[in-house]
Parts: sequence; C-alpha cells; structure tokens
Amino acid sequence: MLSNMIAIIEDNWLLLLIGQYPNGPLGGIISTLILSVLGIVLAFPLSVLIALARLSRWKLLNWPATALVYIVRGVPLLMLILWVYFLVPLLIGDSVPGFVTMLCTLVIYEGAFLSEIVRGGIIALPTGQMDAARALGHSQFGAMRYVILPQALYNMMPSILSQFVSTIKETTLGYVINVPELTFAASQLNNRLLTKPFEIFAILAIVYFIVCWSLSELANQLEKRIIKQRLGEDQTGMGSLQHGSPQTQGAT
Amino acid sequence: MIQFSHVNKFYGSYQALVDVNATVNKGEVVVVCGPSGSGKSTLIRTVNRLEPIQSGQVLFDGQNIHADLKSTELNRLRARIGFVFQNFNLFPHLSVLENIMLSPVRVNAIKRFDASQTAMRLLDRVGLAHKAKAYPAQLSGGQQQRVAIARALAMEPPVMLFDEPTSSLDPEMVGEVLAVIRSLAADGMTMMCVTHEMNFARDVADCVWFMDAGKILEIGAPADFFSNPQHPRAQRFLSDLHVR
Repeated sequence: MLSNMIAIIEDNWLLLLIGQYPNGPLGGIISTLILSVLGIVLAFPLSVLIALARLSRWKLLNWPATALVYIVRGVPLLMLILWVYFLVPLLIGDSVPGFVTMLCTLVIYEGAFLSEIVRGGIIALPTGQMDAARALGHSQFGAMRYVILPQALYNMMPSILSQFVSTIKETTLGYVINVPELTFAASQLNNRLLTKPFEIFAILAIVYFIVCWSLSELANQLEKRIIKQRLGEDQTGMGSLQHGSPQTQGAT
Repeated sequence: MIQFSHVNKFYGSYQALVDVNATVNKGEVVVVCGPSGSGKSTLIRTVNRLEPIQSGQVLFDGQNIHADLKSTELNRLRARIGFVFQNFNLFPHLSVLENIMLSPVRVNAIKRFDASQTAMRLLDRVGLAHKAKAYPAQLSGGQQQRVAIARALAMEPPVMLFDEPTSSLDPEMVGEVLAVIRSLAADGMTMMCVTHEMNFARDVADCVWFMDAGKILEIGAPADFFSNPQHPRAQRFLSDLHVR
C-alpha cells in the first residue's frame, strides 16, 4: 500500500502539483492554493464593506447586507456553486471558465462569513475607542478607518487564517463543475489508473491535511502571540484592567 | 461658553437628567460633584453629544449642539471641545506621539511635521516627552491620562471637559494628573470637571455644581459650598466625605 502510494506520487507528482499545465489549464495543489488565496483576498474588502453595512443605522445599507449574510449562511456552498454556474453565463451571455465560477462563488460565500468575523471584531472593541475618536472630531468613517478597523483587523488575524483553511477545503467542491484543482487532478489520476482508488484518495487526504494542519497551527501560534501581547500589556500597563477598565482589551 | 437650558435626558423610562439649567462662563473652572449615579458624567457627555438628550438645549459658543446639525458641523464642534475620559481611551495601536498627532492631521488637516512639533511641545508640557515613542500599554495609568490630556489639547480647544479623570488611577498617580489640570486652570482654560477629588475642587474651582438624581441641587463658590452647603442632600454628601 505505502510503496504503491510512493510509486504513484513519483510518477504523477507534477499532475498533482500543477495539473495538466502547460498542455492544459493550471490545476493541482497550485490551482487550489491560488483559488483559495484569491478567494480570501477578494472576499476580504467585500467582507469589511458588508460588516460596516450591517453595523450601519441606515436601513438601506443594513437590510440588504443582513439579508445577504443570512441567505449565504443558510444555503449549502454546493447550491451556491450551482447557482453561479448556471446563472452567471446567462447574465453575461458567454460561457465562463470553471475557475472563475468557483472564484466568484467563493468570494460571495467567504465574504459573508468573513463579514461576521469582522463585525465581531469591531463590536468586541471597547466603546470608549469610538467615543474618544468622535470626541476628537473624527467622522464615523474616519473613526472606523483610523481607530477601530486597525485594531479590530489585527485582533481578527487568527480567525481570518482559520477561514482561509476552510476555504482550501471548500475548493474541493469545485470538482462538481470541473474546476481544475487538486481533487480534480486526483480524480483524473484515478480514472487513468482505475485499480488504485484507495491509494490515490489517501494521498489526496494527506496532502490536504498537511496544508490545512500547518496553516491551522500557524493560526494557533498567531493567536497565542496576540493573547500573550495582551497579557504582557496587563503587566506593563500597570493594570488599567485591574481597575475594571476595558481600555486594554482591544490592544495591539 | 457652555449653557445648559432645560436639559432632560431619559434612558428608557429612567430620567437621568432633570431640567438642568446652568452656565459655564469663559475662563471659568466648574467642578461637578455628587454621589455616584447622580448624572454628572451623563451631563458632561451631553456637551459634545456623546449622549443625546430628549429635550432642552446645550449651547456651546452660542450654538445648540443638540440641534439638527449636519454631521460635518457636529464634527467641527466636537473638534473644538477637549474631552478627557475616566478610562483614558488612548488608541492602543498607536504610539504616544501618533495618538496626539492623529486628530490634528486627519481632522484639522495640519501637516505632519507641524503636528509632531505641537505634539512634542504638549508632551513636554505634561512631562512625558521621553515617552513619545512608547505605546499606551507601556505607560502607567497616570502617564496614560496625561497623554490623553495632551491629545485633547492638540486640537487647541477653547474648552476642556474632564469626566472623572482620576477615578481609575492608583492613589499615588492622582497627583500628577491633577497637577496638569491645575496648570491648565492657571493658564485660564475654560474647564468643566466631574470629580470626587474635593480638595482639588476647593483649590481650583471657580464654581461648584452639586448634583443628585439628575438635578443640579446647588451651585456655589467652593468656599461657600464646602463650608456652608445650603441643600440638605449636599450637607449629607459632604459630611459623608468628611471634608467639612
């Protein structure tokens, strides 16, 4: 079994790494990672906008953003993928590569989930921060831009990284619309070799596990560092916390 | 300079401020005192509209800050009212210098170089020039509060409001913060200060307002108020504090 797996990797590592590139579209683990990184990077600004809209008192902003988040969170990702797959070509009147379809879906899906993380990060900051910024004459936007978001986003980094890990796992669903990525490559391999599905999908599982586990570990380390920094502040900050002040809670 | 007229404020059905009428004149130092929950902090927070009110007016320089203002007008007014919080509320992600420079640069569009000069001058004034590069978490409570005062002063406000500036400090740090406030008073700054430091009030105040249950019960010069309070509630408050 193990020797079979090693042999399969030796013969097909390039397919698992980059798919059929350069003779076909870029695929394999590289495509999975590009898809995940692009998904998170594009979803992030969207998520900040959604979070701000959800926190807004304006119903015109608040209501659609809330609806979007609830709908996306209440629908399976696979359903969303199929919707984008069939709807987007109708809307733009042209066929769309699977990669782009998947990317669009991920941006919407991760945007909604990340927006809840961002919103939580903003709400978790002590209200005194917003008070202080407004008292100094900053607009609501200026206070968000210069005071609230820099702190909130820093505190949220471990959660964003965790969301990135789930994004990597979610890209596997691209398989159903033939997005060339790691699962797709493994499946191609399986169709070619026919007799070794167990070995191939074990390799697939191990690769996903290594990537996701190391990133989760990174997130844990990051979280520990941020917590340690905050505790360090408790000692050096001469305990504004000891006086029950929320001042240092959202600190760098 | 600040004028409260018929100010009423409710939290739901609870009335936090009851028909407050009073005036802070230019150059005057007003100390607001009274038991916990008497509405002192609520009152001072209405001056820059951190707390909305349900009826009445709060005039700042003749302008009703609770009028139906454009948000830019409100921001402009707030920028001219220095406010110091009980919990300091320094921005923990910015250095001391950046804390002070942020609002002059972003709100008043002052050049960074000029803003940093002003910030250093103000830090020197509160005795913390050597901490310019430090982060708030590395400072003691007293130092943080002095930075917060410098941050408010950087906007060159004609009036400063202090909401229990020493209440979350260890006792040995109270003096350094009060010394800064005293020096501002000596320079003729118009100030309104909510505090439990009665000795400070006696020394620095031009006028003492005593509040209880959302009402201003007594307004008087400190000499009269501390030696001869008129209202029975004020008499009881002061005898509880053993300051008579």
